[in-house]
Amino acid sequence: MMKKNTVGSGLLLLLIAGVVGWGVGFGLDLLISGSTPNLAGSVPSAFALLFAVTAFFFGLYGYRGITRGLVWQVAGTLLGGLFVTGIRLLMGMKGNELLEGKFFFSEPAWVFGAIVGVISFLAGVGVMDDWMKWARGIDTDEHHEDKPGWEKYFGVSLDHKVIGIQYTVTAFVLISVGGLFALIFRTELAQSGLQFLSADPTKFNVFNQTGPQFYNTLMSLHGMIMIVSILLGISGIINYVVPLLVGAQDMAFPRMNAFAFWIAVPAAVLLLMSMVLGGFDTGWTGYPPLSSRAPVGVQMFFWGVFTAGWSSILGALNVIATVIRMRAKGMNAMRMPIFVWAAIATSIIALTATQLIGLSFQMVSFQRLFGMGFFDPAKGGNPVLFQHLFWFYSHPAVYVFVLPGLGVISELLPVFVRKPLFGYRWIAMSSLGIALVGFVVWAHHMFTSGMNEYLRVPFMYSTMLVAVPTGVKFFSWVATIWGGKITTPTPMLFVLGAIVVFLLGGVSGPPNAMVALDLHLHDTYWIVGHFHDTIFGGFIFPFFAAVYYWFPKATGRRMNEFWGKFHFWLMTPAFLTLTFGMMFIGLRGMRRRIADYDPALGFDSTHLIMTICAFLIALSVLIFFINLVYSIKHGEKAEGNVWNSRSPEWQVPSPMPAHNYEVPFEVVGEPYDYGLAGSKYVEFSAAAGKKH
Amino acid sequence: MIHKQEKSSMLSQGVFIFIYLAVLTVIEFGIALTFNSAVLLVAIALVKAVLVVYYYMHIYKLNAEHEGDENSYEYKSGTNRIGLWLFLVSDSFVFGGMMVMRINLLGLSHPHLNQTLGLLVTGVLLVSSFFMNRGETLIENGDRKGFITNTLVTFVLGLAFLIGVVFIEWPNAAREGITPGSGPAGAAFYMMTGMHAFHVFTGLIFLLVVLNNARKGLYDEKHYPVEAVAVYWHFVDVVWIFFYPALYLIGTIAK
Amino acid sequence: MRHFVIVGILVVAVAFLANAGLVSAHLMPVEASAQATEIDWMWNLMLAAMSFLFALITVPMFYSLVVFRRKKGDTTDAEHIEGNTPLEITWTVIPLFVVVIFAYLGAGNLARTIRNVPDAMVVKVVGSQWNWKFVYPDYGVTSQELYLPKGKAVLLKMESMDVIHSFWVPEFRVKQDLVPGRVTELRITPILDGSYKVRCAELCGTSHYKMEQPVIVTDNAEFTAWITDQQAKAAALVTPESKGEALVAGNGCAACHSINGAAGIGPTWFGLGGAQVELEDGTTVTADDAYLIESIKNPKAKIVKGFAPVMPNTYAEILTDEEIANIVAYIKTLK
Repeated sequence: MMKKNTVGSGLLLLLIAGVVGWGVGFGLDLLISGSTPNLAGSVPSAFALLFAVTAFFFGLYGYRGITRGLVWQVAGTLLGGLFVTGIRLLMGMKGNELLEGKFFFSEPAWVFGAIVGVISFLAGVGVMDDWMKWARGIDTDEHHEDKPGWEKYFGVSLDHKVIGIQYTVTAFVLISVGGLFALIFRTELAQSGLQFLSADPTKFNVFNQTGPQFYNTLMSLHGMIMIVSILLGISGIINYVVPLLVGAQDMAFPRMNAFAFWIAVPAAVLLLMSMVLGGFDTGWTGYPPLSSRAPVGVQMFFWGVFTAGWSSILGALNVIATVIRMRAKGMNAMRMPIFVWAAIATSIIALTATQLIGLSFQMVSFQRLFGMGFFDPAKGGNPVLFQHLFWFYSHPAVYVFVLPGLGVISELLPVFVRKPLFGYRWIAMSSLGIALVGFVVWAHHMFTSGMNEYLRVPFMYSTMLVAVPTGVKFFSWVATIWGGKITTPTPMLFVLGAIVVFLLGGVSGPPNAMVALDLHLHDTYWIVGHFHDTIFGGFIFPFFAAVYYWFPKATGRRMNEFWGKFHFWLMTPAFLTLTFGMMFIGLRGMRRRIADYDPALGFDSTHLIMTICAFLIALSVLIFFINLVYSIKHGEKAEGNVWNSRSPEWQVPSPMPAHNYEVPFEVVGEPYDYGLAGSKYVEFSAAAGKKH
Repeated sequence: MIHKQEKSSMLSQGVFIFIYLAVLTVIEFGIALTFNSAVLLVAIALVKAVLVVYYYMHIYKLNAEHEGDENSYEYKSGTNRIGLWLFLVSDSFVFGGMMVMRINLLGLSHPHLNQTLGLLVTGVLLVSSFFMNRGETLIENGDRKGFITNTLVTFVLGLAFLIGVVFIEWPNAAREGITPGSGPAGAAFYMMTGMHAFHVFTGLIFLLVVLNNARKGLYDEKHYPVEAVAVYWHFVDVVWIFFYPALYLIGTIAK
Repeated sequence: MRHFVIVGILVVAVAFLANAGLVSAHLMPVEASAQATEIDWMWNLMLAAMSFLFALITVPMFYSLVVFRRKKGDTTDAEHIEGNTPLEITWTVIPLFVVVIFAYLGAGNLARTIRNVPDAMVVKVVGSQWNWKFVYPDYGVTSQELYLPKGKAVLLKMESMDVIHSFWVPEFRVKQDLVPGRVTELRITPILDGSYKVRCAELCGTSHYKMEQPVIVTDNAEFTAWITDQQAKAAALVTPESKGEALVAGNGCAACHSINGAAGIGPTWFGLGGAQVELEDGTTVTADDAYLIESIKNPKAKIVKGFAPVMPNTYAEILTDEEIANIVAYIKTLK
């Protein structure tokens, strides 16, 4: 054992174990396949990656917490796979059939191994220990005290603030991975013709995939990894902020809260495993029959999403229960901070609809494993049925992504314009309105899918209806800004950027709702541009705003203003140029999800500009990361009410104490009464603890 | 005295609800055999579900006012109750999704299955719900021994249901040519019964856990865990109340 | 009040400028079908609405940012305005009203776009990984290119052999998925001569990006000449080898397999017949008829070393045994 766990020893072990893991994988590949394996083949790469990541955490943290979880996941996956392989051998399925998926195991073995691996991770990391004790009739402490310092972030903690930061950091890690994938394929797209992702297997062969196949894998994973990172990001903000806003000591179910976070880690591992196990070329939508023919990687993708879905479902359940049961005295529904409304609206969707994506992916997985022909027309199945089930989640999902972001905008605006939020009730209700209308619009993704033609018209109407509550939000924001005394520190810049970018996403939406027009726009880069506008405006910009805004609350220091503003002014124009480019070429004939495009279309220069913009965005995010890490230790001290906010969490010193408010508070006024002399939102007193 | 009376009225309520459910199931079966009206079958399933949700799962407890501050056991049980119901709402979307699949693929037809066996397992699950309700009522009134006896019966019946579906009905259907890969009827049948059986299986584990802890006397005062397991068990029953007509009764026999 | 007047004027000005800019940018490709005219009409309406909405939000926002900035040294809060219910109702009801109008316009627009024109020419479109095939049942012609006479309504009856594809010619605007197991329809009336491309718009696997084939709109005389020519060519095919060559062209085999030894996604066919082929598992087989037929019908049975198993396994359904034999005969001529 090293004498001290540090980043340095972690990195050293990362290198050594990477080489060792590659060697092990190479040897195994040699042994199994009997021919000289590809140096960048699946098995060596997978082992190198697994060994390296695990060793990094070992050096950083020792054999506990996340390290133990990862080791157990690897062991569980292999044991699960061996178990099924053994059974298949006993049943007399051998030889070629046994290795039909290559990569050591057959497909059923991989799927079972993946499931066992996820459970093993959860057991290894120790997030279910208390539940197991309860099941055996042993009582445990209500709270576990965390050790001070950074170590608590790498193991199971029950503190919602620690979990919030774990979520946020994991989200940033996944955003970086997804962003890296985007940079790779964006570079390939800079020019027409396949430059380095060559279709010739002798020139390009990574993880047993040729260039276009690898492009498809990267493009598909970019989508799903970003989606998971968004789900984790909103969970991060909600987890950290909602209990503070409602005056609770913690979430309603702290263990389930920890569970919801930790199950997302093996989910991310599964998603990345899909890349090495042959990848998948289905896009994040995984439509059958394409996904029922894709390589084994698609199974890892399905089960990764299924697992990540549970994180989202259980997190949402916790948020709803917390807000219903744990609000401070006097905080009735119309006196909740507006962000709490957004969190509730989001959670209602995440709690219910998420099950449908899990189910639809499970059904394709079973179709592959057991030949159940749900979506196979040759067996009487219906491919369009999948699209209905899939979009029943995946459309409301975009409201899951953006509603918390819109909540951040509404929450922060009054602070920086020093004026009450205009039309609080309308904004609160519009969140619920968007969430509810969001449940009945899913088939607008299917106007060209060949579903019953008459269904297109009602779905066009319901889709256009979304514009009404969204409009209410925009108008109310503008009315809030109007006549305020506006300052623009970094969080406010990102809020304003969010409004403009989300507006672009908003106005580019109705054309897609008009069925006839959508027949042209569907599955083009126009949609890609529209989608990125809504997600950047609805999540990325508000997410950055929230991090800049609540960073002092978590650390007692603030992030550097100059570099924060630099980040904003670099990212915003680059992003706008990127999506304008996407929309422009989309209208003129650039379809989605293509590794290469027809040079005759004349898109080369636009694509080149877009690629440059993508790198500028990456640079700005890199600056943000450096600013973030540097500011934790060296940022300007900010222990008081930095933004001069009325919100309860800013009325106590930063960083927040371990059990939140030592003296409970009672709500005595409206949350956003800026400019009303002598008014107060909350009052701290010991008596406020008697809530019921 | 008052306590006693409430107990006996709760117990007799459980019996009455069981009789209603049993009668409705027989009527349901009769309708399926005679004029097979899908609308009526769905309506009866809805009535049965409402009976279980209200009287066995006592959904009204969600509305109960709680005494004590937020650190009291009552208040925390209330929070847990909300958490459990939220989970059930979430879970019902899985089963709802499978219903959509079944309606889309099979419409007004159902797989060719053994009707006697179907009615039998349905009855077994229904009786198990009755005993679960009885056990729960008893432990809430401090009768540990009665709880253990009744819950043991529930467990045995649950196990019988699981064996009936997975180890008798499945091989039986496979012999009749309904396999997972045989077509939409087979796919829907195995998916729906499989997912339901998985829930029954988890329910059996929870039953074992509360049985073991009740033996140690953990639930004599604080009996929320028993309520949670009971509600979950009844929920699984409610799912079957819809799946039974969907798979066995509604419509004609699918190809 | 002064502020409102200025902002009102600015909103109108910015909306007009934005709309004028967007319209003059000619964002859409040429209108080559009657449907395109319909759709572009809606698009231009949308552009106006988008420009107006964009101006309506951003102008007051940026105006506020400039005019209502906090003055240096001012530490007071702004005026306490909590909201204005009539205003909120206004900006809920007016958008609702606009939505209703657009709903009406949109439904009419859709109806005109998919309108049924009697005695349309039927063309069967068959999509497969990664090839389009066009069959003219009235003329007994099968082609790799979609030839259409100008001004004549066409009804495309589309089928997919394997996964979902989507028929899209940007210049025609309309798009329709090809779903395995069913026939989907698309109606197009070409109105502009020219050479376009059908581009698969639904991700369909490895070579999705290459699934593009020519669409040519000509006048009626030229179209008839082309049909006659195609019929003559089909009649001229008598030997198995020539039939095989036509089948290879008709099924897009060349997308992956070269006939001149060049590298590709799949092994080249040049000199393949009778050659020794090294397989992924290290063994070697002779490329005789049995091997070639098996490789077409069940491509994953024997994987050639250095190649990924990506070939669709649907050719046993797409092609008859006789057609496969013809293709094998053709492959054996490539030396």
